[in-house]
Amino acid sequence: MTGSSVTDTFPTPTIAPLGDAALLVRFGTALTDSANRAAIALVALLQRAPVPGVVEVAPSLVSVLLRYDPLTAAAADIAAELRLRLYALAAAAPPPGREWTIPIRFDGPDFDSVAAALKLRPAAFIAAHNGAPLRVLATGFAPGFVYCGLHAEALVLPRRTEVRPMVPAGTVLFAAGQTAITATELPTGWHVIGSTEFNNFDPAAEPPTQLSPGDRVSFTVAP
Amino acid sequence: MSATIAITRAGPLTTVQDAGRFGQLRHGISASGPMDGVAYRLAGALAGADHGGIEITMAGIGLRLQSGQCRVGLAGGRFDARHNGLMLEWPGAVSLAAGDELTVMPGTAGNYGYLRFDGAPVLPTIMGSLATSSRARLGGLEGRPLQVGDVLELADAAGPAPQAVTARQAETGPIRFVWGLHADLFASPVRQRFVTTPFVISRQLDRMGVRLTDAGGVFADATILSLASDAIVPGDIQILGDGTPIVLMRDHQPTGGYPRIGTIISADLDRFAQLRPGTDIAFSSVSVVHAQQILRSQSP
Repeated sequence: MTGSSVTDTFPTPTIAPLGDAALLVRFGTALTDSANRAAIALVALLQRAPVPGVVEVAPSLVSVLLRYDPLTAAAADIAAELRLRLYALAAAAPPPGREWTIPIRFDGPDFDSVAAALKLRPAAFIAAHNGAPLRVLATGFAPGFVYCGLHAEALVLPRRTEVRPMVPAGTVLFAAGQTAITATELPTGWHVIGSTEFNNFDPAAEPPTQLSPGDRVSFTVAP
Repeated sequence: MSATIAITRAGPLTTVQDAGRFGQLRHGISASGPMDGVAYRLAGALAGADHGGIEITMAGIGLRLQSGQCRVGLAGGRFDARHNGLMLEWPGAVSLAAGDELTVMPGTAGNYGYLRFDGAPVLPTIMGSLATSSRARLGGLEGRPLQVGDVLELADAAGPAPQAVTARQAETGPIRFVWGLHADLFASPVRQRFVTTPFVISRQLDRMGVRLTDAGGVFADATILSLASDAIVPGDIQILGDGTPIVLMRDHQPTGGYPRIGTIISADLDRFAQLRPGTDIAFSSVSVVHAQQILRSQSP
């Protein structure tokens, strides 16, 4: 599920201007496994073969932002270079990604209700949650925040209807087929299922975050 | 020569800013930087500074030079600035000696002003920048706004020679934008009314975003979908679930899942940031190529 090969077919991308200083390549408007893998593959490709004039590449769940300097570069030139690379995307080697093991304490206030909603006993939910490594789908929502997924269909739950005003760094969130980890305080409408000592944000470090899209994460139960 | 500045009065959200902390979006950090980049650069030219300075808000600032001497460039909006009680030109520049007081009071126009100094503020560089992010709470002085009692050290003057530049006549007229990522999610009549109906700058504005009052009800009945989050850029005009338009500014969230009907062009975003609550605005659409031509024509 986390690998890809030349036989994979990525969704057809669209290139759209995002203001007058950026382009956005979108592989879809909803999160799917293939759209996410395409976005991650494009970022890796753009690292190997940068587009002249692009000053920043930032991936999201199903899209990739390319920022350029509007004083020196033209959107049409960037888009043309980008199209050349997109033709090669399906044949590009998938990014290797790094392997991580992250221990979780399943001590969140929503843990019991999540297990119940999935019709699983607590131990069975933990086993299912930790059963297979997940891919880091995206970063960038907040400092050091990571989305990991995608869980099997049987583990998909919608978000909560209410937003918690603030959860601390190291909170483990669960919703929409994903497990996410906060690295700063933030409000959230996701289910809070646990916590972790793993800290993915250090503003004094270079780079300030460790996990990258495409990395693989194995969750374990914290001792 | 180096100098020490004591803050004696600070309006809310007075922050240290430099050109911005670019290249960190993938780590979840938007660039910050001056809300009015044109004014920030003018203040820098007047001071002889290419390093960060202070962004003030409508209430202004008071400071006393505790030691040393420095040259200060002042620009952005229209503030009432005095040096030891004597009125200064705005925009303008002034040289301060130890013991001097600089007072900046609310003026007739604008939300943001800039004080830039010939010596660089002695502050830690976080991810390559001094800029304060009110969202990530980092940069500047301990990641927070400046307060009464704060003391800023300035290094020896090391910038370019100060210039006697004058402020360019600010553009007036509609705020220009390019149609956005999700413009086609809005029905054609809604798009039509977006460019023919005035909006009002609301009181809810800060470095993250400016909420608009949709008095004409352009988005009152629009169906707002929630989407997979995509990258946000400054100037994005996002429509919240209840139909409220909000323009995302320099401390914007890095990604967002509400639809964006358009993005204010780079050449107009500084001017937009200076519009005070209660100001009527009209939006007018331009192509990306036209937006870039306007930007190039404004560049020195």
